[in-house]
Amino acid sequence: MEKKKVPAKIFKQEVIVFLVVIALLIFFCVASQDFRKYTTILTIMDYSYYIVLMAIGVAFPLITGGVDLSIGTGLVCYSLAGGYLIMFKGWPTGLAMIVSILFGLAIGTLNGILIGVMDLPPFLGTLCTCMITRGLGSICSKNTGISWPTTGQPGSWFRSIFKYETAGGTKIPLGFIWVLLLAVIMHFVLNHTKIGRYTIAIGSNKEAAILSGINVKFYHIMAYTISGLFAALASIAYSAVFKTVLPGTGAGFELEAIGGAIIGGVSATGGAGSIIGTFIGVFVICLLKTGLPFIGLQANWQQIVTGLVLIGSVMVDIIKKRREAKK
Amino acid sequence: MNLKKIKEIPIVKKLGFNRIVLTGVLVLMYVVLSLIVDKFAGMPRIMSALNYAYFLGFLSLGVTFVIATGGIDFSIGPVMFCCALISGYCLTSHGVPMLLSLIISVIVGFIFGMFNGYLVAYWRVPPFIVSMASMNIAKGVASVFTKTQSVSWPQAAKGGWFRSLVKVGKFPVGIVIFFAIAIVCSIVLNHTKAGRYILSLGSNREAVRLSGVDIKKWEMLAYVICGILVGIAAIYFVGAYTTVQPGYGDQYNNEAIAGCVMGGTSMAGGLASIGGTVIGVLIIALLQEGILALGFTKDYQLIITGLIVIVAVYADVMARRRNN
Amino acid sequence: MGEVILEMKKIDKSFPGVHALNNVDFEVKRGEVHALMGENGAGKSTLMKVLTGIYTKDSGTIIYEGKEVEFNSTREAQDAGIVIVHQELNMVGHLTVAQNIFIGREFKKGIRIDDKKMNEEAKKLFDRLNIDIDPTMTMSDLTVGKQQMCEIAKAISHDAKVIVFDEPSAALTEAEIEDLFKIIKDLREQQMGIVYISHRMDEIKVITDRVTVMRDGCYVGTLITEESTKDDIVNMMVGRVIYEEPKTKSQVAADAPVVLKVEHLNAGRMVQDISFELHKGEILGFSGLMGAGRTETARAIFGADPKESGDIYVNGQLVTINSPEDAVRAGIGYLSEDRKRFGIVVQKTVAENTTMADLPNYMKGLFIDRKKERDVARKFVDSLATKTPSVDQMVINLSGGNQQKVVIAKWLCKNCDILIFDEPTRGIDVGAKNEIYKLMNKLASEGKSIIMISSEMTEILRMSDRIVVMCEGRKTGELTIEETTQEKIMNLATRDIN
Repeated sequence: MEKKKVPAKIFKQEVIVFLVVIALLIFFCVASQDFRKYTTILTIMDYSYYIVLMAIGVAFPLITGGVDLSIGTGLVCYSLAGGYLIMFKGWPTGLAMIVSILFGLAIGTLNGILIGVMDLPPFLGTLCTCMITRGLGSICSKNTGISWPTTGQPGSWFRSIFKYETAGGTKIPLGFIWVLLLAVIMHFVLNHTKIGRYTIAIGSNKEAAILSGINVKFYHIMAYTISGLFAALASIAYSAVFKTVLPGTGAGFELEAIGGAIIGGVSATGGAGSIIGTFIGVFVICLLKTGLPFIGLQANWQQIVTGLVLIGSVMVDIIKKRREAKK
Repeated sequence: MNLKKIKEIPIVKKLGFNRIVLTGVLVLMYVVLSLIVDKFAGMPRIMSALNYAYFLGFLSLGVTFVIATGGIDFSIGPVMFCCALISGYCLTSHGVPMLLSLIISVIVGFIFGMFNGYLVAYWRVPPFIVSMASMNIAKGVASVFTKTQSVSWPQAAKGGWFRSLVKVGKFPVGIVIFFAIAIVCSIVLNHTKAGRYILSLGSNREAVRLSGVDIKKWEMLAYVICGILVGIAAIYFVGAYTTVQPGYGDQYNNEAIAGCVMGGTSMAGGLASIGGTVIGVLIIALLQEGILALGFTKDYQLIITGLIVIVAVYADVMARRRNN
Repeated sequence: MGEVILEMKKIDKSFPGVHALNNVDFEVKRGEVHALMGENGAGKSTLMKVLTGIYTKDSGTIIYEGKEVEFNSTREAQDAGIVIVHQELNMVGHLTVAQNIFIGREFKKGIRIDDKKMNEEAKKLFDRLNIDIDPTMTMSDLTVGKQQMCEIAKAISHDAKVIVFDEPSAALTEAEIEDLFKIIKDLREQQMGIVYISHRMDEIKVITDRVTVMRDGCYVGTLITEESTKDDIVNMMVGRVIYEEPKTKSQVAADAPVVLKVEHLNAGRMVQDISFELHKGEILGFSGLMGAGRTETARAIFGADPKESGDIYVNGQLVTINSPEDAVRAGIGYLSEDRKRFGIVVQKTVAENTTMADLPNYMKGLFIDRKKERDVARKFVDSLATKTPSVDQMVINLSGGNQQKVVIAKWLCKNCDILIFDEPTRGIDVGAKNEIYKLMNKLASEGKSIIMISSEMTEILRMSDRIVVMCEGRKTGELTIEETTQEKIMNLATRDIN
């Protein structure tokens, strides 16, 4: 009987969050007529891709008990760097993407070294790389907005990866499938590979992990590298969905991603988390983001609501832990 | 070995070896910049650097208290903008008198301090989560309140008497006030019950709690002090730069924290130096002036400050490792 | 017994301010159980940590299977076949039992971790050891005793040739200890070398072949267990130190008033329906196994952890204690087992720590009166004979015994009449230990009332006027010092189990 206790616990959080998503959907559908349109789904999807990708990545540092604040500005930086190569150097899109991804891997690994090897506090180390990537992004792009090839231009094939337009003009949010696929893969990585197992071990009891002879430094770095890699993948999704990327932006994206992860059941103090939960959790944020304007709350309210939702979900987690501790 | 001996000389011990070195760095930076940049020496540049130092200094003093508890607050930059925007909007669009507007600025900072402090101290929400959330809330509130308009504070000639808090004629009044408040902060930190408890709980929270001290109250107080100083920082920001735009302010977080950790405040909590923070802030301010004078953009400063923080914090980590 | 498998020669290790190991020799033969004994702080754990690569030695040699070896990490020691079952549990709470046992050397199927096979292997391992634990359970859901069993299973599952047990029985019930002994005998049959660290004399006689005794970081001698008596071993352990005479009868006056009365205290699983009385000038010992709920009871009384129900009377008055603040106001002081974490602020000075609980009385207006603070600190440094160069010394630079005195000073400064000492001599060297005992007796004779939680049986018998025994969160008995024997305490301490 006790055997099934653990998976049941994680499963529960995911189901609850999923129900919240459904409830929000129903609420917005009832509250606003304009919301009930196919284009709304497209908008929600467009907003979700890059946040989901960032959230999947940042779940790993969060589970180690750390955080990665550099993903938001990092995303913009990688996108600017890749876009600059296409726009001004005439590089093919595919090659520019690889550059973006390598850039993300490099910054992620740098974060990992700062935190895993040099022992800097995670929020501080990544706050520094957040500022550094912001500066680098502006310098790379010479301080102008950058556009990746738009539909119709050569090299714009990558946009249809995320949003496929049929001959009839219907738009299909294909990206959802890819993002879901990546979430499933990373769910597997977290639960069934060494990288995931040791990520949890570091977050739960680092001392024990060291004494078990695990190369803790390496796996600590890996968690941040994964976060960097997914920030880079998110940068491609971002470039594909939006027309122009502006230098100096990106601060605040990390909040949405981290918020999604924590709503989805990743513990803010490390040691536990679910990628599928994270995936669903992000949709709570995305729904609020796209839904609020429909009920008359303008864009700026989203920032306030997102902030409050994040704190709210952490508080729920804290209350739950206190209850468990009492037992 | 010799270094150890130097550190033991009474006067060096009293002033702090770290602070002496930092002062040396500050002077050296000024000399080098004066030599390589045309017309760098002289009052205009110093005044410009001071303008930057004031608001950054107040932010840095504030965050010193928070870091002393072992926490962190990187919502200070956006909160400062929120203070300046709300009070400025009251002033320009609602006809609120100047003095009251300034008080409103401090009150907004105070409220954010309460909010952050309450969540961290009473709910044990991790400080980085609270910072992240209140950073966005501050940006959102400011945008909603001002309807996403930028706000310009009046010039001295047009009733902007608050500018005499920054300078009167050519005399930098701001530096006097800044030093005065820094001294008050130093006294609070080192000679009052609040400071004793803040530093002690930063060093060992549980031990202080089990001594029968209401640590929640004192931990929250650190955030409130920070909030008030952020409100003051907002006044000095608009006093120097006049216009504020909603949605910005995060770049100053790192610079304020940089000033703080450079000055010898430990990120692990329990160790803080107001004098060090003051010198650290002056270095950052001079650095930004120098970078602009050398013809680089602000972006380079972001990168350089980022690197400075990494080095300063790493030095702190190494020092602690050696002690253990 | 076979030939020598492991030999440690002239091992030396210093920490800042402490000469932890001084030219220590130690050897283990194949197929023997070798006890390593000594009082708290004698250097047993340090020696074993040097052996398994957690600490690096300053000098000396380790010869293992005829070759000189040097381990730089636990992993290297493990790979060579030397494993340690730690006293502090080293488990990853969020993972399952099987995942913990095979952590660092998971079975894999391609890139996938083969959890199924790991569960099977863990099951086999448990079957072999005759332990009934479900390998798929989450570690943090197990009791301390079961976690300890997992730790042992993990150690055995390495292809070990030498296994070090660091006080394995501290958390185990009698039945579990029997299981453990069966396991150890099996391992001995298989020609493994076993090092067994324990305080419990009875166990040593039952299970070990030889005993090596350490004292103050030095090697004292090695005896063959069969040929030696308990007294031989105790004498070697204690050495020149003369302890306070064990109490034969209570020192408390028959009509001493009750200063603290606890009734039906409940706080979670570890504190269930605890009631007891503490008299003026009494030392009330709290005995029990590790994890019996003694510390939890103390923390609940002190308001450090929330309690569900129960009344606390101080000097006959009902008091509400919801936080340490309330407790201190009521005149209760708590000295934690873990000084570094709960007792002192290491980056602060002796003076600052002394006034920590009573700072409001050391203010001059808004400011702290540093002179008054130093004066009172100096007074306590003198009266407690704390060894410190000055009251401005950072507490981090003091030895364990002197840190403990600073904590005592903190409570005396606040004028607390009820003191809870939780493991007062843990991590304190032998010489300083007796000073703490003397001090406690002095405090009691001056009218302070003391609750002393201790896992060291000798300490309980030596110090207490009366003894409360706990087991699994319940009070299982109360004994006067006159009627107490070790056996009676052990019976009560394991009464509720199984």
